[in-house]
Amino acid sequence: MQATTMNFTIEPITHDSVVIRIGKALDFRNAADFKAGAQEQVRSGVRNFILDFTETGILDSTGLGSIFSLYRQVSPMSGQVVFASVSRPVQVVVQLTRTYKVFRQFPTVEAARDAIR
Amino acid sequence: METTRQSFKRLDVVIDDLHSLFEEWEREGALLSHLDEDTIHLFRLAVHEWVANLVQHARFDERVPEVTMDVIPNGRRVRCIIEDNSNGFPLDERLDTQRQALKPFPERGMGLLMLNAATEYFEYSESKDGRQRLEFTVSADSDPCLNIPF
Repeated sequence: MQATTMNFTIEPITHDSVVIRIGKALDFRNAADFKAGAQEQVRSGVRNFILDFTETGILDSTGLGSIFSLYRQVSPMSGQVVFASVSRPVQVVVQLTRTYKVFRQFPTVEAARDAIR
Repeated sequence: METTRQSFKRLDVVIDDLHSLFEEWEREGALLSHLDEDTIHLFRLAVHEWVANLVQHARFDERVPEVTMDVIPNGRRVRCIIEDNSNGFPLDERLDTQRQALKPFPERGMGLLMLNAATEYFEYSESKDGRQRLEFTVSADSDPCLNIPF
């Protein structure tokens, strides 16, 4: 069953993995919603997050900070945060901040699903 | 694309207005004749970070906010001047503080550093009429990097 927050759709794929479809923007306007939605998932036992950036035109510093926050939360529990279908604007942020060193990237959500199983 | 000036007065919608503008330029190919796609995204990110900082932190006291943005394409660079009528703040000091406070996987405090890293040239000053003025350039020939501790 899908859950939709303000701009995000959260789709469970296994008992401990979800896909979060980021939508048009993850920035200072909705980063708190992202964080709250992700934290709720962690509380319910989710450890692996695939972030789908297919539609995303804006990822700013606050949005990236909210992803770092999620990473800090799940990595001690052997959880993962991975990026899928990264749009060009998001790729530019990833390149600028060298976050490809931290978050594995996959060309599609399906490829990410296969990799984290 | 010729030099263009845009004005904004409503902080509650300025981010939406800015991105609508960039989307319009993208549809028209207005900036693409001068710059590659990634440089345009980098330029858009720099503008976004500065205006986001204004929206979240700037003090306008009783004044109606006024923000203007001049975009000046120049070969493989784009120059941008953003002026506003806020009180301003000590940017260099703030950048130093943010640099020193940057922790591994920071949640906050990256915005100005990201803007600084994305730009080739960057200057913040007060204009003769008392407005705050940020001028920067973004270049297609640079490989900018913000060193975040991981």
